[in-house]
Order: sequence, then structure tokens, then C-alpha cells
Amino acid sequence: MTRTRQLALLWLLAVCLLLGHNVYLWAVKRIAPDTDIMALLPVQERDPVLQASFSHMVDAAQQRLIVLVGADDWQSATRAADAYSAVLAVRKDIFAATPIGEQTQSDWLALFQQHRLTLLTAQQEAQLRDQPSQFWLDAALARLYAPFGGPKLGAWQDDPFGLFAGWVQERAQETPVRPRDGHLFVADGARQYVLLPLTLKVPALSMTAQDTVLPLLRQAGDAARKATPKVELIEAGVILHAASASGKASAEASTIGIGSLLGIIVLMWFVFHSFKPISLILLSIGIGFLGALSVCWMLFGHVHLMTLVFGASLIGVAQDYGIYFLCNRLSADEKTDSPALLKRLLPGLSLTLLAAVIGYMGLGLTPFPGLRQMAVFSALGLVFAWLTVVFWFPLLIGGRSLNSGGLVRAYGAALQRWPLLRFNRATLVAAVVFVLAAGYGIGRLGANDDIRLLQNPPKHLIDDQIKLSRLLDAPTPVQYFLVRGDSAEMVLQREEQIKARLDSLIAAKRLSGYQAVSNWVPSARTQAARRALVEQKLLAADGPLQGVAAQAGEDAQWIAATRDGLLAAATPLTLDAFLASPASEPWRHLWLGESQDAGGRVVASIVALRGLSGAAAPQVLMAAEGLDGVQWVDKVAEISSVLGRYRAYMSWVVAGAYLVVFALLFRRYRSRTWRVLAPTALASLATLALLGYGGQQLQLFHVLALMLLLGVGVDYGIFMQEHPDRRDHTPWLAVGMSAANTILSFGLLGLSATPALQAFGLTMLLGTALVWLIVPCFASHPPERTHD
Amino acid sequence: MNKIKYAPAALSLAALALTLAQPAQAVVPAAKIQAMLAKPPIMCGRFDQTKNLAGMKKPLASEGRFCVVAGKGVLWRTLKPFPSTLRLTRDEIVNYQGDRVAMRLDARTEPTVRVINNVLFSLLAGDLGQLDTLFDGEGSVDANSWNVSLKPRQAALEKAIGTIKLEGGSYVKSIVMNEAGGDRTTIVFSAIQTGEGAMSKEEAALF
Repeated sequence: MTRTRQLALLWLLAVCLLLGHNVYLWAVKRIAPDTDIMALLPVQERDPVLQASFSHMVDAAQQRLIVLVGADDWQSATRAADAYSAVLAVRKDIFAATPIGEQTQSDWLALFQQHRLTLLTAQQEAQLRDQPSQFWLDAALARLYAPFGGPKLGAWQDDPFGLFAGWVQERAQETPVRPRDGHLFVADGARQYVLLPLTLKVPALSMTAQDTVLPLLRQAGDAARKATPKVELIEAGVILHAASASGKASAEASTIGIGSLLGIIVLMWFVFHSFKPISLILLSIGIGFLGALSVCWMLFGHVHLMTLVFGASLIGVAQDYGIYFLCNRLSADEKTDSPALLKRLLPGLSLTLLAAVIGYMGLGLTPFPGLRQMAVFSALGLVFAWLTVVFWFPLLIGGRSLNSGGLVRAYGAALQRWPLLRFNRATLVAAVVFVLAAGYGIGRLGANDDIRLLQNPPKHLIDDQIKLSRLLDAPTPVQYFLVRGDSAEMVLQREEQIKARLDSLIAAKRLSGYQAVSNWVPSARTQAARRALVEQKLLAADGPLQGVAAQAGEDAQWIAATRDGLLAAATPLTLDAFLASPASEPWRHLWLGESQDAGGRVVASIVALRGLSGAAAPQVLMAAEGLDGVQWVDKVAEISSVLGRYRAYMSWVVAGAYLVVFALLFRRYRSRTWRVLAPTALASLATLALLGYGGQQLQLFHVLALMLLLGVGVDYGIFMQEHPDRRDHTPWLAVGMSAANTILSFGLLGLSATPALQAFGLTMLLGTALVWLIVPCFASHPPERTHD
Repeated sequence: MNKIKYAPAALSLAALALTLAQPAQAVVPAAKIQAMLAKPPIMCGRFDQTKNLAGMKKPLASEGRFCVVAGKGVLWRTLKPFPSTLRLTRDEIVNYQGDRVAMRLDARTEPTVRVINNVLFSLLAGDLGQLDTLFDGEGSVDANSWNVSLKPRQAALEKAIGTIKLEGGSYVKSIVMNEAGGDRTTIVFSAIQTGEGAMSKEEAALF
């Protein structure tokens, strides 16, 4: 007795600590769960450079928010854009707008102008090789006499052949965006748009930031609509996706949480007709949830929102222990005191906890950081709920505190009419039918490991994204070439090799272009070769300059002076100078720089692709064939393949978990052990078959749900085996209440808009219902045979 | 997510960031000049162009014909010493060397085309009201002639085209452009004809 009290007091102390920690976390530290979907995904093993390249691409994009303000005419568009910007301009603490100063242009050109002689387009280089001197003379003379001779930068003598102007134009072609009237302009056939590139100063993935930024954007949008009623707003940015994901996830978490809690309350009311047991169950679940959160926070330093969503569905499992105890208390003799009753129930209760924790630990074996956290969170939550039941329930619930209602009697009576499997012909026929039907259904299951199942942004976001990509011809951040080498020069040379191959794909309209640092800073080798070519073809004493001199009435001295003036700008442009200048700002993310990998020092960069369609990708990735240090990276395909690998791997883990649980149960149940596990195994197979009949594609999350189903189903099996006598309705009641709640909470998850969660919920819903229906059939033979 | 890049396009007449600044108090007697200018729907004539280039002793002379068609655009045909045709319409600027298209700029992708076009058209037609948004100017008017000197309000535009001086009476007589790089271009217009007969068949065909 006293020991019971001591333990209860000890547990009270522990719970107070937990509560204190939670208060500190929520009220003092004001923690917010992570909402970054990417954090759930596996980290790239074995290749730190590749991983860095991806996070580099993503980080660069993450804090950006792009807004396009479009209208039928430019004036209306700028008016609306100004109204939009004005709303955001007052919040300098949140938005760092990218100013488009007048200086941008001159600063931008200054650096390249100093090295202009070594900067040529590939086409110019080819023309220098192939075209006769006359061609260049014509070009120079045309520019000499032209009234407003095309693109021209500085005086004629700085660029007599228009080579630098051509190079700058080619660079300008890297984006369709143009400065215009102090705004950035881009257009399609129908509308003209002002582009507002915004950079967030607050972390895009924080929910607090999202709650500040989104209303501001709405205000800005309203202001723009006021200025130009027919304005079209296209907004794109990680923050929008993150906000929609976190909004959806919070809504789902609260739906599942509130749904299951309501379910528990209603069911318990029907069963016990009193609030005391209801509040006790809620207490055990609450302590489980808060305890898991505290410990997870200490272990991981952060908690992901999806963990909490998943955690909310945990209620369906955590309630089992309390319900089991309460149902037994209800049916036990009033004279049995609660601690004694607990002693009797403890073996079964311990096994249920162990089995569930083993099930969850299976999830922890995946390389998905998110799943690991969910597994730890869930296992901890169960342990805390279980300890609460074991330490407190016997003290709080006396022998006389529970009365059952009529519903319980009716439900209990149903058990008598349940078929009981025996070794006879009927069972054999049923088994054959089941094997055939399940086999056919499972055979129809396809598989789908698309990463998009993890995230399902609202249609308008996707539409905006597509439209924006089309208008801006922006490169995709998830498919690119990763280039590596021992030195920066080697990397630039390798970039040039892959670019040469991509040029033919551009000619074949498979791509619209590429972005690379070497577009701006050619390798030293290339710069030297081009300079030599220019000197030989254009600057030679008998070259085209001589013809120009003859036409303009100048002499050899003039030729020499012009030549010297040009050669003054022939020093090679270095990578460092480029990276240090403001001109490189939009391209710096392509240069990964130096890092260490297994092979020692490595320099790496990214060649990003524009206008790559999914259909062309297989051809484009072939471009890297046989090129040293050039690797095709396709993050989407890679994640999908990882999802697929783990779907297969987790299927084995599930099978393994059955074996482990079997071994665990065998010590207690011996020859009856199979009866504990069979209902869950059969229900899992039947669920898969039903999914197959329903035309579902199998994905990792179905398999993960089967893992959880093992944890739940074993509970029911154990409850039934602990009380083999069919006339004892206690376990049947516990199973019924637990299953009804689990079905309720996961049924709500089955309504989730995120395909992954929906798969999870649906599997749990079907599986739990089936275990509930099957479990009585596997009861042991009652001691006294009832002939029916 | 998308990365946005923007590299300012650089074109000689490309006004890079042309803010529609509030028109300053114009010291250009624009109204008087406008009143003096004849604004025919079609106007063609001869031009003589002299370029004084930095680093060259002698000026370079060229001559040719030009046409300005209201609402259509400008045709600029250099005949001597090298034939070359420049056609500026609302949607594009095309440069022909003989029959070959040497350069084409599309207004849909290069909004500066419209600016260039607008500036040129306004210059040739003497439409100072249009120019006011882009240029600061000062000028004087007497009985039947006027002159204006224009300075771009924007540093970027000034870098590209420098300052412009215009002289004229009922038509623009001359344009002088002083570029920042030291090159100077002087264009003198003469033999101006207006009306349907002003344009030759081949010129009409080019539009």
C-alpha cells in the first residue's frame, strides 16, 4: 500500500517537472514547431558535396518571395505594383526589398568592361575562327557609320567590332526580366508585369513569421487591387508553401486530436455514465503527450509539426492502457482492491506497451529524420501514458466507482454470437477463400513513391508557380548538373565542357538555356585562347583595323593606339574579382566553393538549367556521360527512389517486428502466441487487399501504418488472450472502446488532404476495424465447450 | 523555388531605369515650338551625318534618306559610304545590311525598344511633350526658328546617349548628340517632302 503511494508521489513529482518544463517551453521560450517538409526527408548519405549543393540551391531560394503584378498596360501595372510595395515598405523589419538603383547598370558593367577583350560568346568565337577579315571590317564600318548603331557601350574605339556589346546582350538574355522606368519588367503576349523581388528577413519556415507575412501580403494585394481593379497578382515563395502546409497540418492535427478526444468522451460516457473515468483517460493521454514533447525537445532541440500531427493520432493507442484497466475494474469483484487488480493486469499491460514501443522503434530505423522523431515521440508518449495508468489509476479508482450502462451489456452479448475458428471444414474453406481473395487484391496493388505525395500544395500556388516559371524562364532548383574539380579553374573548364554539349540540346529545343558562373567568368584557359584569337584575327597590323584606318583616313599610329587601347582591357577576369563584385549577386549561389570530401579538397559548382521539360530530362542528363566531375542531380527522382527503397525496407522491418513481438509474447503465451498475432496479421493482409481492390498505389506510408497497426492489434490480441473465457466480456469491451476511438481518429486522418497522411489514416482505419472484427474468432477454446 | 535573376540589358539608347519622373518646370518653350512645327503624317528627306569619334582625327561623313510615318515608325536608310537600313516600328528595331538582317530587337522581350523608338520618333518629329518625361531641357524661340538642348534626367540614359541638341523651324533641321564616351554625332536634315508622294515604292514596301 505505502509502496503504491510512494510510487504515485514520485510520479507526481516527475509529472510536475514535465509540466514545469512545458510551461517554460511554451510560455517562456515561445517555441514553434518546425514546418519545413524538407526536414522530414532523408539526408543524402555518403556525399556531403551533393547535399551541400542542394541545400545551397534551396537556401538561396528559401528566403525569397517573388511577386508579379500584371495588367493590360504598363501604367496600370506600375501603379498597382507601387501600391503593393508601399504596403510592404513600412515593414523594413520583415522585407528587404531589392532596390533597383540607377547605379546597378553602371556598377554591373564596370567590372566586365575592364576585361572586355577576353569575354566572347561562343558564337563570336566561332565567327572569329571561320569568318574572313572582311567580315570584321564590315562589322566595324557598319558600327562606325550607324546613326544609332545597335547596342553600344561606351565609345566606338572601346568596342570597334561590337564583341563586348554582343557578349553583354547574351548575358542579358539569361533572363527575360528588364529594367524599365525604375521597375523590373517582364511580359507575355497578354499582359505586362512588374516584378517585385523580395527577400525576407524573418525565417520563411517559422510559423510566427508566416503569421506576420501572409496578412501583410494580403493587405498589399488589396492595395494593388484598389489601384488597378483588374490587376493580376502572382506570388511565389517557399514561405507561401510552408504557410499552407503548416496551416493544413495544424488544422489536421487539431481535427484528429479533437475528434478522438470527443470520441473518447462520448464512448466513455455511454460505458461508464460518469466523468471520472473520462477525465482519468484524458489525464493519461495528456501527460503522455506533454511528456513526449518535453523529452523530444531535450533530445532533438526542435519538434516538427508533422510529429505533432502524428502524435495527435497517438491518442488512439495511448488510451488502450487506461481503458483496459477501467474495463477490468468495471467487471472485477468490488472486493478486489485496485492495486491488487493492477498486479493481475500488469503482465498483459507490460506486453502491450512493449509491443507498441517495438512497433514504433521500427519507424525509428528509417533514415528519415522526421520519422525518427515521430517514432521517439510516439514511444515516449506511450510510456508516459502507461506509467500514469500504472502509478495513479489504482489509487484514484476504487472498487465501487464504476457502473456500466445498458449499451455495455448489449455489446457484450454480441460476443456470444461471434464465430470461433476451429480446425474444421468451414475454417478451411474460409481460409482458402481468404487466401485467394487477398492474393488477388494484393496482386493488384501498384506502387507509387512520388515525393509529391508528401506535399500537396493548393492548386492556386502551383498555378502561380508554373506561370511564374514560364514568364521568368527560371531554372529549376531540383534538377541541375553538379560540377566538381580539384581547383576553381578545373571546375570552370568542366563547366565549359558540359555547356558545349548542352548547346546542341538548346539548338534542338530541349532546353532554353543554362546558368553557370563560367557564363560570366570563363576559365583562364578559355579566356587566354579567346584573347589570342582576338589578337590574331582582329588586332594584327594587317587585320581589319587597317581597313578601318584606310576608310577613316587614319595612319599606322592610329591602328597602334586603338590596338593598345583594346589590349589594356585584355587582362583575364578572375573568379575572385567576379564573386566580390555586385554583378555576381544573382549568381553566387551557383558557386559552392571549396569543401572537403572523402577524396580531399574539392571545389564544386552548379550548372542550372532553364526551360527543361520533364520529357527532355532523360536526354539532358545524358550530356554528362563520360565527363569527369560532372554529375546529374535530380532531387525529385532521388527522394522518390529513397521513398521506394524505404518502402521495401520497411516492409521487411514490419515482418521482422512480427517475429520480435512473437518471441516476446512466446514466454507468456506459449502455444497460444499465434492467436495473439494472427488477427493483426490477417487484418494487415486484408487491408492491403482492400487497398488493391480500391485501386490504391502502395507507398511508404501504407507500410508505416501497418507497423503502427501491429502495435495496436497486438494490444487487442493480448487483451483477449489474457481472458480466454468467452463469458468474460471485459477484454471485448476494452477492445471495442479502443478500436472505436482509433477508427475515429484515423478515420479523420483518412480525410487529410495530404496523400501521405491519407494513406496512413485509411490503412489504420481499415486495419483497426478488421482486427476488431477478427480478434474474437481467435480466442482460445473456452474451458467449458458451448455447443452452438 | 525559383531564383530570380535580372541582369540589366544594355543597349546604347536603352534607357535603363527610366523613372517617369515628375516633369520639372520646363524651361523649354515647348508650346511655342509645337505651334511652329508642321506635323505631317508622312515626312521624308535627306540626312547628312557627321561623326566625330574619340581617337579619330577626321570626322566620318555619311548620307542617306529618312522617313517618319506618324503612328508607324521611322525608316533610316544610309546610302553612302555603306548601304544599311534601320527600321524602327512599334514592336521592333531591325537593321538590314543589304538584304541580310544584321540585328533584330523585339519590343516584347526588350522594352527598351519602345523607349528608343519613342525618343527617336519624338526627336525627328520634334515632339517635345513626349521628351519631357525623359529629358531636362532648355531652349529658346524666335520668329521662325527654335533650338533646344536636352539632358537625360537619368544617369543611365545619359551614359548611353549623352546630351542632345535640336534646332529647327517648321521641321527639325539638325540633331547633335554628344556621347559620354567622347563620340559626337551631328545629323542635318534637308530636302524635306511631305504627303503621300514623299515615300518611294521601295521605302513603302519596307514598312
